[in-house]
Amino acid sequence: MFENRAIGLALVLPAAIFAAALFLLPVGILLSEAFRTETGWSLSAYGEFFASPRNQTVFFRTLKLATLVAAVSAVIGYAAAFAIVSLPPTSRGRMFGLVTLPLMISPVARTYAWLVILGRTGFVNQILVDLGLIETPIRILFTETAVFIGLLQLFLPLMIISLVSAMENMPRDAVPAARILGANWLQVFWKVILPLTREGLVIGGTLVFTGSMTAYITPAILGGSKVLMLETLLYQRVTVANDFVAASVIAMILIVMSFSANLLLKRLATARKSR
Amino acid sequence: MTNENFVSLRDLTLAYDKTVAVDRLDLDIRKGELIALLGPSGCGKTTTMRAIAGLLTPRSGSVHIDGRDVTRLPPSRREVGLVFQSYALFPHLSVFENVAFGLRLRREPDLDAKVMAGLETVGLTDFAKRQPADLSGGQQQRVSLARSLVMHPKVLLLDEPLSNLDARLRLEMRTELQRVQRETGITMVFVTHDQSEALALADRIVLMRNGAIEQAGTAEEIYNAPVSGFAADFMGFETILPNEAGGGLAWRPGAVVLGSGPHHGEIRGASFAGERREYVLESALGTIKADVPVSLPRYEIGQTIAFDLPRETAVELARLD
Repeated sequence: MFENRAIGLALVLPAAIFAAALFLLPVGILLSEAFRTETGWSLSAYGEFFASPRNQTVFFRTLKLATLVAAVSAVIGYAAAFAIVSLPPTSRGRMFGLVTLPLMISPVARTYAWLVILGRTGFVNQILVDLGLIETPIRILFTETAVFIGLLQLFLPLMIISLVSAMENMPRDAVPAARILGANWLQVFWKVILPLTREGLVIGGTLVFTGSMTAYITPAILGGSKVLMLETLLYQRVTVANDFVAASVIAMILIVMSFSANLLLKRLATARKSR
Repeated sequence: MTNENFVSLRDLTLAYDKTVAVDRLDLDIRKGELIALLGPSGCGKTTTMRAIAGLLTPRSGSVHIDGRDVTRLPPSRREVGLVFQSYALFPHLSVFENVAFGLRLRREPDLDAKVMAGLETVGLTDFAKRQPADLSGGQQQRVSLARSLVMHPKVLLLDEPLSNLDARLRLEMRTELQRVQRETGITMVFVTHDQSEALALADRIVLMRNGAIEQAGTAEEIYNAPVSGFAADFMGFETILPNEAGGGLAWRPGAVVLGSGPHHGEIRGASFAGERREYVLESALGTIKADVPVSLPRYEIGQTIAFDLPRETAVELARLD
């Protein structure tokens, strides 16, 4: 684009310096914390971290919830996205607006709304009691279910947006063509929609998975100290115990998991493609 | 059911939300017939075709195919084929797999042979391993045709089969469709907005307007005896005037006589078209289009000349609108 490469480099330099000085360097220092011991470099901090049963629970809970949220949002997302792209253009725009609306509201406000809905005297308990399904209010808040619901609501729009744009790029009439050739809806999904939207699914899945894994506010408010996730554990290690080594270990785990999730999803997508 | 009503639409009303696209339509299609649904955009022709395919559930009325009521059946169980205007090939599958798609769902034996026979019909056996994106538009359409034909549908529907092709391919595809129809004896319904396509290809033309049938008949019947101003206009009659009986009279450009007659008009446009010369005249009767053999005297733009609309070359219309 530029006749002289130097101009291009000069233009990108401020951003590069900014990123290196204010992002890469501090992150590097923080991450190296966990490899440094008094005698030299070692992986012992990781061993110690995973030796603790509580840390194991938190690790697997985070993995489980993030996977579950990604999977459930994919199922709901496909249904919602298909419904949206099937609408005529004007109502499609309106529905798309409704889906993206929550993204414009602070996650704190959205999460506090769940406190009201899921609380002991909240909307859900009230209805269950009124219907006679339960006698006394059940505990929903500060359980994994509450965190799951909060995360799902938080990240579902990202999945829907990814899938809607993937479906809009599908060839027009591919779905009716498959139906006329004898495919039922399940076959249409497996043989046409899924292969043609797998890139959207990879993007949406990665966003939702890493988002759920690294969310702080939602597990903090809806899970509290009873349902710790890696992110809330990290915060607790730093503020309560001033334990920067553990924080560094957790940060590294989160980074590795995010990248692995993306690679795994991409691998899954291309594996089906090459068939 | 007889062969006369192999496909039968009865009192069919089709609507999108609140807009009625097709209003109480009745249509019978004979077995082995090549029929054209012709009309301007928005006349309901594509909607009617989608209803035969089962992509649209009628608000009321019924669809019968080969004696079976398919009104409530999903597209997958209607045994129809549809060649989409966009071809709608599956871009993630090879040409072979596209043609094999429906056969695989049916778990048909001798898959390879059947797919290759299908590709043979459209002359694309060498392209089996290619991806749809590597093919030209005309080739993609032939894959789409093969994909439908290997399923041996009772009715083959084609949506604007020639409109995306250039002039040479258009002639080729037209010949191809007629050959396929002759060889397989399949009942074909195709949708078009182009009267010349309909005239060239169809055994019978169903001219549609505002969700209803304006006129149905053989190409010659509609071409020579349109019933209304709308039908006449669609069939290339350029001059349409009311008559005393409340109906109308219509002239093709070639039926207008220039150089003599009771009317006068000013030449506004003139163009040479090989064997004939085309003129546009502005007159008290409105704009008149005429074309005359090049052997006749030539007129210049701006010239006022006499012309005649002879009664004997006019076609009588039952309705003017």
